[in-house]
Amino acid sequence: MSIKIIKPGIFTTIQDMGRNGYRCDGIGPAGAMDFFAAALGNILLGNDENYPVIEMHFPAAELLFEEDILVSITGADFCASVDDIAVELWKPVLIKRQQTLCFKKYKMGARAYLSLQGEMKADKWLNSYSTNTKLKAGGYHGRPLIKGDSILIDLVASAMHPEHLPDITNLLQPIYEPAGNIRCIVGPEWNSMDDASQKMFLNESFLITTQSDRMGYRLQGANLHLVDPAQLISSPVDKGTLQLLPNGQIIVLMADHQTTGGYPRIANVISADLPKLAQQAIHSKLQFELVNIETAEYALLSLYQLLESIQIIHEADRHQL
Amino acid sequence: MPEVNFENNNVRITPLSDRSVLISFGNVIDPSINERVLSIHKALLQNGFDGFIESVPAYASLAVFYDVIKIQHSADFSAFLFVKEFLDSLVQRINSFEKPTSPIKVIPVCYDAEYGFDITYVAGVHRLSIPEVISLHTSVIYRVYMIGFMPGFAYMGAVADELATPRKDNAQLIVPAGSVGIAGAQTGIYPIDSPGGWQIIGRTPLRIFDVVNVNPCLLAAGDQVQFVSIDKNEFASYVD
Repeated sequence: MSIKIIKPGIFTTIQDMGRNGYRCDGIGPAGAMDFFAAALGNILLGNDENYPVIEMHFPAAELLFEEDILVSITGADFCASVDDIAVELWKPVLIKRQQTLCFKKYKMGARAYLSLQGEMKADKWLNSYSTNTKLKAGGYHGRPLIKGDSILIDLVASAMHPEHLPDITNLLQPIYEPAGNIRCIVGPEWNSMDDASQKMFLNESFLITTQSDRMGYRLQGANLHLVDPAQLISSPVDKGTLQLLPNGQIIVLMADHQTTGGYPRIANVISADLPKLAQQAIHSKLQFELVNIETAEYALLSLYQLLESIQIIHEADRHQL
Repeated sequence: MPEVNFENNNVRITPLSDRSVLISFGNVIDPSINERVLSIHKALLQNGFDGFIESVPAYASLAVFYDVIKIQHSADFSAFLFVKEFLDSLVQRINSFEKPTSPIKVIPVCYDAEYGFDITYVAGVHRLSIPEVISLHTSVIYRVYMIGFMPGFAYMGAVADELATPRKDNAQLIVPAGSVGIAGAQTGIYPIDSPGGWQIIGRTPLRIFDVVNVNPCLLAAGDQVQFVSIDKNEFASYVD
């Protein structure tokens, strides 16, 4: 069975939970920016949470389905509709053969995920389907989707009756709200910032500029200063690392980040708030809050417990029917 | 074999993120400190802890990535503390080691100005002839300190003092794959076409990064590298 790309949308790529084990070769993890939405999209369909999904920005893709298939759309709300009828997000949806899925208008968020029941036949490179566009590897020939591309998928027999499933959108509130409030732990060079800058970092808000993409968000806000602006030798960084650039502004590293860098790492966004950060669109304002490592870990554990509880509801539903 | 001993008072083990820790030995470029970083990296690869994902060596630091959820299931305290305790003891154990000697990887480089666009500039800065630049660059066996900045990019050093040249003020939009450059006392090879600010003195016909290879990178941290000069005809003979 295949799905055809009628319109590609902007930077539509195949991603999974990312590529681990190759950072020492300078190969970053890539992967879905909003890993929660991508994992949940798969879980809603009974898939393995690490199956490849299609990550879309707005304007998003238009896709034609060759056969009946269950899909789920999670993450950003771009007003998904199938043959002009609006479809619900965060829920399994049956798309019938020859129907078209499109995204009518921008409502909220930054990245929508389309998951398909069964395993998409994408390119697996170094144990991951995630697209590395710089190296032209993984995903769909290592590049964003273009018009005319055809995605093959192994269909699986489905015993799912989506209309019986509970609405889970109210469970998602703690993951995505309050929207601009991003929790961090201190980074290795937090104390390299002077006192006034540490206060400004916590009290002021920072705007996501247009120079923001899957590699990183460049922020605009108060000028932050180092006590001693000595050159740092290159050292590892991670997704969510906040680097202080020589001009006093911050860049937040996102999924396609480099593995090492030479700028001071003042803080790091906690893993549990990365999905929320991934859904902040350009021109959104961010406010940073410092938490300790125990709080960060507890928040991540809660996020996985939520995924697990939704998985249990869905499995129970499949067994009943 | 020389045995190197370290004191542990300069080690810092802190969170890098909430799923990785940073072991840091300071802000120095020093072969013995880098060797220690690599020894810890190798020890983790051979004998990690349950929940270990990967480690990333740099000049004088190492990041260790771990699975928070997996560790939290089996530990009574935070995953960070569990990992920190493991690493504290590992770092103590690996404070003395035999310095391994890796074989020298020979990398052919054509220093012709057609490939080394900045070799004339570099020679001019140091009042050297181009053959002198080539001789200085090829006479040192370099250490690969780390891979970073982009896939397969090896940071090597140290170039002779007479050859150390600052980066360009403005990055070049496209530096072709295989270009060999100098930045300060570092030398490196661009594995893929990329923007870059290093002073380019030549180009290797070898594939430094090959996406279809199971091990896509030609170089790894800890390798020893020597450059040999080839002419344009020899360079052309490598092209398949």
